[in-house]
Amino acid sequence: MAAADSRAARIYRALLRLLPFDFRSDFGPEMETVFQEQHKEAGRRNGTTGVLRLWWETIVGIFRTAPGEHLAMFHQDAGFALRMMRKSPGFTLAAILTLGLGIGANSAIFSVVHAVLLKPLPYEHGQRLVTLQQQAPRAGLLNQPFSVTEINDYRAQSHSLDGLVEYHNMNFILLGRSEPERVETGVVSWNYFDVFGVKPLFGRTFRPEDEQPGAPAVLMLSYEYWIRSFGGDPTVVNKAFTMNDKPHKVVGILPPVPQYPDENDVYMPTTACPFRSRPAFIANRQARMMQAFARRKPGISVNQARADLNGVAANLQKAYPNDYPPSVDYSLATSSLEEELTHNARPTMLVLLGAAGFVLLIACANVANLNLSRMVRRERELAVRAALGAGRVRMFRQLLTESSLLALIGGGLGLLFSWGTLSLLVAFAARFTPRAREIHLDATVLLFTLGVALLTSMLSGTAPALAARETVVGGLKEGGVQSTIGRGRHRMRSLLIVAQVAVSFLLLIGAGLMLRSFAKLQHVNPGFQPENVLTMQIGLDFTKYGSNEKQLAFFETLLDRIQAQSGVKSAAVSMMIPLSGNMRMTNDFQIEGQSPTPGQALPVADFRVVSPRYFETLHVPVLDGRVFTRADRPNTPAVAVVNRTAAHHFWGAQNPVGKRFTVDGGKSWVQITGIVGDIKQYGLDKDVPDEIYVPLAQSPLLDGILVVKTAAEPMSIARSIIELLYAIDPNQPAARVQSLEQVRAESVAAPRLTANLLGLFALLALAIAATGISGVMALAVGQRRHEIGVRMAIGARPGEILQMILQQGLALAFVGVVLGLFGALWLTRLLQQLLFEVAPTDPLTYLGVAVVLGLAALVACYVPARRASRVDPIIALRVD
Amino acid sequence: MGAAQDKAESFGPLTPAMFHVLLALAGDDLHGYAILKEVELRTGGKVRLSTGTLYGIIKRLLNDGLVVELRSRPAESNDDERRRYYRLTPQGRQVATAEAERMDEILSIARSRNLLKKIRTA
Repeated sequence: MAAADSRAARIYRALLRLLPFDFRSDFGPEMETVFQEQHKEAGRRNGTTGVLRLWWETIVGIFRTAPGEHLAMFHQDAGFALRMMRKSPGFTLAAILTLGLGIGANSAIFSVVHAVLLKPLPYEHGQRLVTLQQQAPRAGLLNQPFSVTEINDYRAQSHSLDGLVEYHNMNFILLGRSEPERVETGVVSWNYFDVFGVKPLFGRTFRPEDEQPGAPAVLMLSYEYWIRSFGGDPTVVNKAFTMNDKPHKVVGILPPVPQYPDENDVYMPTTACPFRSRPAFIANRQARMMQAFARRKPGISVNQARADLNGVAANLQKAYPNDYPPSVDYSLATSSLEEELTHNARPTMLVLLGAAGFVLLIACANVANLNLSRMVRRERELAVRAALGAGRVRMFRQLLTESSLLALIGGGLGLLFSWGTLSLLVAFAARFTPRAREIHLDATVLLFTLGVALLTSMLSGTAPALAARETVVGGLKEGGVQSTIGRGRHRMRSLLIVAQVAVSFLLLIGAGLMLRSFAKLQHVNPGFQPENVLTMQIGLDFTKYGSNEKQLAFFETLLDRIQAQSGVKSAAVSMMIPLSGNMRMTNDFQIEGQSPTPGQALPVADFRVVSPRYFETLHVPVLDGRVFTRADRPNTPAVAVVNRTAAHHFWGAQNPVGKRFTVDGGKSWVQITGIVGDIKQYGLDKDVPDEIYVPLAQSPLLDGILVVKTAAEPMSIARSIIELLYAIDPNQPAARVQSLEQVRAESVAAPRLTANLLGLFALLALAIAATGISGVMALAVGQRRHEIGVRMAIGARPGEILQMILQQGLALAFVGVVLGLFGALWLTRLLQQLLFEVAPTDPLTYLGVAVVLGLAALVACYVPARRASRVDPIIALRVD
Repeated sequence: MGAAQDKAESFGPLTPAMFHVLLALAGDDLHGYAILKEVELRTGGKVRLSTGTLYGIIKRLLNDGLVVELRSRPAESNDDERRRYYRLTPQGRQVATAEAERMDEILSIARSRNLLKKIRTA
């Protein structure tokens, strides 16, 4: 019986641990006696039932009481903590600022990661959407778009899809507002928005009858365009605007959703597009211009859909062997839209999240160290409180409350930081993914920030709280304030410093590698001179300039007038400009003298239409033969110019100048007249494609880009060039007016911004770590004044003291660098795919960072070391 | 009295358990276990306080100055020295009175609506 009683007492005591320490020490013993009496009586009166009932009531009672008591305790602790914070404003400010930066970096990057990588697509059926692309790897054709007949075949023959829709993008001129406006137009199947699960904000989406041949043309406006051009006026629905010489009625407004694949101003059904609705275009299986999206049926996986669609691909190969020769290895690639939308952003965003995490770790270590330093000054207070009966747990709790408050305030500051930088971040993320516009500081981000703040308080508060235990033991002894710096605590402070240096090293290496990579990218020779070149896009009105003659006449008149303008060195028109990410136009061709083997793929190259002075304007060297002149006319023999890569690739050791090829199976032949230098068309980090240039006079060009080499700053004459354009056709707008240097800078903006952001994080880390080292050394010097005084009294020179302190500080830094080195060798592999021509183990970067970090540590240690060397032994010894 | 009365009323309404503890102490100075027994007895076993609830209440009553712990224990109690005795303060008595009056007002309304039998005057 006695054994049972004592067991009950033990269990009861364990249960009491749920209550706050103070409560327990006030009432615990008394509660135990009361419970024992209750227990005895319950057993006596009602046996086991009575005892069980008592236990049940007791347990419920304690569980009900505990939360309120803890809250009351927190309230009291928080009040005390706030008073403590007011008493040392310097510490408080430093800690809050450090934590604010650390937490802010994390909540900002997390808001991006959450919106871009974690949240499901904001389309109703987002998870089931896939994108389709045709592949013919052996013909060098990857990710090819579709022709109308192909779209129809896949739609009719697949079984795994709920809907398959097409998309292509065009520029049209919209009339009916104050000025002619060039609008980015998405041309889509009638059920495009239904398949995506997008409901209109106003009006309706397209209906089947909108896509009937000859149906009245209708438009939907994107949310952004509607806000930008119509000020969000809903009455624009049902208004008509003129496009392509036809009235187009606005039937609906889209909600603010990420538009994929392009950000369009307006959408129209396929039949409203003058190109797409030409019977010849519809019938041509090779006229591939459309992208295809589909929605999987419920329960069908991406793999199942892929297998189904590849079955259709096999059928097509059988049915049309001429269009899909076996040699090209034709297949259909199916991937989830979500993956497609975010795979560009993933590596960069994850690296940045990791970097932000490291910054936070450094911030935590720094605040922990600040806390520890402050603990030295608070030893008296803590010891007195311990002597007055505050238990270890109580003190622990008090200190944790203080660090939680700091972290929460820091978290609030961090949210302010991320709120302030949100628009910059959105612009940054938009370079990687169309999902950027979904980035908000929403409830999830707030919750994440709170979580990070609490984690931070644990990380930064635990070390000092543990250290406080030593204080409680030894604090009130004689001379406690000066001499009880426990060895353990000193070791912990050193450890924290080493960790900070190590993590800073890691971050600096990451940033250094990215910067080196960016510098390499900057030094890539693009093959042309972007300096002093003005560019603008001129998309001609299809109905007004329908024939080649009209297009040619327009561009030649324009070029002649521009050429006559003062300040213009040369001018040309081209289908695309380098590094602008435009869509490519590839074509297969047949070289004269090389008869095609049946079933063998023909050579494929990128074809570009350029006017005569294009190469001169961009300073692309002519390596052999001649480039185009005004003497090349529509009725003179067809000519072409190849780039160096194509010349080597297709003609090998032979000189292609004078050789001929055909693109129409030998009906007509094109003679090569010259070879030009290679241009980095698709990106400074991308390979040069095989290119064949054809003259403007012999090839239609409706959507051209004007390039003008100027004597002075190119943007300064932009206005006068546009005036020339208006003088020829007042309804002809120019778009994307920018200098070629801007285009080039834009093409490397993503790696540049990533490098800058990582650099910012690394600098932040370095600054925090350096102040950390400085602070710790200063404290160590302060505590060792007596010892330093003795050393100097027995003959140590100031220089020796300086050296001693410096050595100690630098030793810590050195250990940190070595640890960071191993960490970097291990972690920078993750950066690999973001780097251009720089190895993750680039020795120059490692050396440079080690030197920078070493110097920072030296400077950080120098100030306290110099103070140590100036200690006056007489004063130092007298004080103690 | 007015100000004190206001203050007393500002405590209410008390939780039922708290009121029971005050009622128990209104009779005599008691230790914790005796309070539990008293409450159970008076309510015919309908209200049974657990130790957690009781001491949560006692802490609150002590903080608010409605009860005090007795420095000297009653002469007859030669029992366990871990026992502590509690006494209702004048303010505690006011609070209990105010609560009782508040309940009485409610009861008289209930009676006037014939929800309760009239008090037998016998």
